[in-house]
Amino acid sequence: MAVDITLLFKASVKTVKTRNKAIGIGLDSPKDEIFKRSRPKIGFSPKAKEVITNITKLKDFLLQHRKDYVSAGSLISSDLTRMTDNERDQIDQDAQIFMRTCSEAIRQLRNEAVKQVSSAQVKEHRGAVLDLIEVYLRGVCKLYSEQRAIRVKRMVDKKRLSRLAPEHHSRVGKTPEPMEEKTVKEESSEKSVSEVPNNTLNLWEEGRVEDELSPEEIQMFEQENQRLVSEMNSLVDEVRQIEGKVVEISRLQEIFAEKVLHQETEIDSIHQLVVGTTENVKEGNEDIREAIKNNAGFRVWILFFLVMCSFSLLFLDWYDS
Amino acid sequence: MAASVREKQTVALKRMLNFNAPPLKNSAAEPVWKVLIYDRFGQDIISPLLTVKELRDMGITLHLLLHSDRDPIPDVPAIFFVMPTEENIDRICQDLRNQLYESYYMNFISAISRSKLEDIASAALAANAVTQVTKVYDQYLNFITLEDDMFTLCHQNKELISYHAINRADIQDTDMEAIMDTIVDSLFCFFVTLGAVPIIRCPRGNAAEMVAVKLDKKLRENLRDARNSLFTGDNMAAGQFSFQRPLFVLADRNVDMATPLHHTWTYQALIHDVLDYQLNRVVMEEGAGGDPSPAGARPKKKNRKTYDLTGADRFWQKHKGSPFPEVAESVQEELDTYRTQEDEVKHLKSIMGLEGEDEGAISMLSDNTAKLTSAVSSLPELLEKKRLIDLHTNVATAVLDHIKSRKLDVYFEYEEKLMSKSTLDKSLLDIISDPDAGTPEDKMRLFLIYYITAQQAPSESDLEQYKTALLDAGCDLSPLNYIKQWKAFTKMAATPANYGNSGVKPMGLFSRVMNSGSQLVMEGVKNLVLKQHNLPVTRILDNLMEMKSNPETDDYRYFDPKMLRGSESSIPRNKNPFQEAIVFVVGGGNYIEYQNLVDYAKFKQGKKVVYGCSELSNAGQFIKQLSQLGQK
Repeated sequence: MAVDITLLFKASVKTVKTRNKAIGIGLDSPKDEIFKRSRPKIGFSPKAKEVITNITKLKDFLLQHRKDYVSAGSLISSDLTRMTDNERDQIDQDAQIFMRTCSEAIRQLRNEAVKQVSSAQVKEHRGAVLDLIEVYLRGVCKLYSEQRAIRVKRMVDKKRLSRLAPEHHSRVGKTPEPMEEKTVKEESSEKSVSEVPNNTLNLWEEGRVEDELSPEEIQMFEQENQRLVSEMNSLVDEVRQIEGKVVEISRLQEIFAEKVLHQETEIDSIHQLVVGTTENVKEGNEDIREAIKNNAGFRVWILFFLVMCSFSLLFLDWYDS
Repeated sequence: MAASVREKQTVALKRMLNFNAPPLKNSAAEPVWKVLIYDRFGQDIISPLLTVKELRDMGITLHLLLHSDRDPIPDVPAIFFVMPTEENIDRICQDLRNQLYESYYMNFISAISRSKLEDIASAALAANAVTQVTKVYDQYLNFITLEDDMFTLCHQNKELISYHAINRADIQDTDMEAIMDTIVDSLFCFFVTLGAVPIIRCPRGNAAEMVAVKLDKKLRENLRDARNSLFTGDNMAAGQFSFQRPLFVLADRNVDMATPLHHTWTYQALIHDVLDYQLNRVVMEEGAGGDPSPAGARPKKKNRKTYDLTGADRFWQKHKGSPFPEVAESVQEELDTYRTQEDEVKHLKSIMGLEGEDEGAISMLSDNTAKLTSAVSSLPELLEKKRLIDLHTNVATAVLDHIKSRKLDVYFEYEEKLMSKSTLDKSLLDIISDPDAGTPEDKMRLFLIYYITAQQAPSESDLEQYKTALLDAGCDLSPLNYIKQWKAFTKMAATPANYGNSGVKPMGLFSRVMNSGSQLVMEGVKNLVLKQHNLPVTRILDNLMEMKSNPETDDYRYFDPKMLRGSESSIPRNKNPFQEAIVFVVGGGNYIEYQNLVDYAKFKQGKKVVYGCSELSNAGQFIKQLSQLGQK
């Protein structure tokens, strides 16, 4: 296992110091240190650190209120820990605004880092630092969206559960079942929906003369009521389901969007390559044409030279003889 | 050894990268960024264990070589992971003077001496940077772990401790001492990381014995030094669940000279033999076309591809020891499974399109969204699988090309028969004079194995015949001189090594070809099945672990660093068979021995065997060393 020899190092520092003193080498006064310490507070890394502290604050805030946020809340829980829907929406909004500002800050830092002229290593380092911060922010955003998904899912489940109860209700009548506070509103609306036809029926019945009060007609009206009620229920049901599915789809959509963006950059690069390729091919064609021309021209010159040589030979021969 | 050596080393590295504090399990922790600076030794140690992505996840933004030009990056802590050599120390002092980074965490791969520490201290004082040097550590990680149970000592300067360096005729005592010190230092670091004090056994009269003596002394000194012993404290308690101490067997390369030259048939060993395979990384040239380009045209550019064969690759872990035809089949199987999964995902697309308009789809929608989610989340896995399949197809095709062009299967079969002393159907001369069976190096290897395993030396006339045939084929005869010397020497010392019975059974060629419609066309290549047999090193280990008595291993020396008085006897105190063993070969090792030991460990349930060597050399490199030795 690794051995910590920092103390040994400090001891050697002391030894060297005493040795230097003994030999008489002057020590630099430590005043430069103070200067160095008070480096300008502006600069890349303090700003980056600031962004990180902000994101950490957001994370702590989310984690702190997570339990209250997610809890469905039962009837017997105390009022202190329960959150109203408004509070939850408030938290959602605040968190979103915060995340947007953080990503803005990261983008700004990135632009700054690119603009500032510094060595390649420092640029790479800063790019990597910003990537790390982005990954951190993404992790915290995931926390938030998980919370939100859990909350929506619970609501949907709750609605679905409470959906079953009013079916029995309208048949049996007013039975005091323990209902959750959230669904009291819908329930009462449903009860009123089922009650109103009953009431109107009763009124109608009371106002009408005996000839209309045949049991078949009552039953028919009751059936119609029930059909209407069930239709409305199923519609509301479907709407709730769709809502849940839409949340899931939005998550998938996010994944796809990321992939499509990634592909966009790749397609851009492919486009560049293709443009470069067509240019190269064009140049290649030009070169080939030139080469053919040169070849032809070369051949002409060779022929000419040979003909000249033979003529000169003939001439010399004629001259000699 | 509850955790493997590789895990222990990785854990130690991660801790070092986390500013020498144990890494937290919290995944959403704040990022802290740092810069990692290493020298070539550090690079070799880190690269098989951690990928660049893992480094990034740990917050390392830049990783640089110590001796490169580095620009100042203020307000960033820097972690150094270097060997404590003179030049490294000088460079560190220079960095301190130039104030490159905000704080410095020094980690030395092996222990640093006091004087060098004082050099750094004086440089730090001169630069007023003493407060910046935050921590100094001795990491004791001076070895390279390649697999879960295999390690080697060094890769950078391996000529310094190679077989050639140890066995050359003109070696000086000081050189030998230096080599031994390097080896012992690394072995000591290995045992510190492992957290166990072994029982050492070694043969007499060669380099292995010298290493054992020195290692024993070093361990003993460290154990006696109560103040800062490395083997006490919570390091031991945490890692040890077994109460037995491991057995450390030191072997010398001279005990078995045929195995490094042997042609192999298992996947990993073939890759090491035929392709450029170092530190778990294969470098190949792609697009090496068969037909030569027409005259006058520009030569086709060959791009080099690099592949990493890591522990995360499940196919590799399963098949690195399998014979080659099996590998080819498995690649085909994997490809088929991948295609079916891909089809499923594509099928989903058509389902989605159809059911969009259906009224009752809303209730079915839940299933489809769930299916879609699962398909999308499994997509990265599929892509990764595809990449691995591509990788293995390319590598296997390259190996197959080599096998076909050099007829390596013929060589393998023949050598197996030689080593098991079964009857030979073809004469050696035929193979050597066959012009298109292998490179001259292959023929030389075959002949050397024949020479080594022959019970009595071939007659002079035979030898001359062989020599002329070899010279015709273009081989260099200097290794032969050295092997003659070696054989004479070992004949005096002990009986020649017996390679055990092995059978090589060629499977019916046509049945296999019909069964697998694989892309890797294996026709023309014999389908050979390996039978279990034990190489000399494995047999030695078997004898020592099971406390069997055998004339080969009876006079091995016995060292126990924990005993109060060092004894010269070779009578082991411990009569029980060992459960864990570490085999170390001084002078060079190879994957064939490693594979053999892995098979042996699998065969004997419940035993763990770790293989180590001073350097990894494939047959080509070993032959070069032998020819250098033979030329003296």
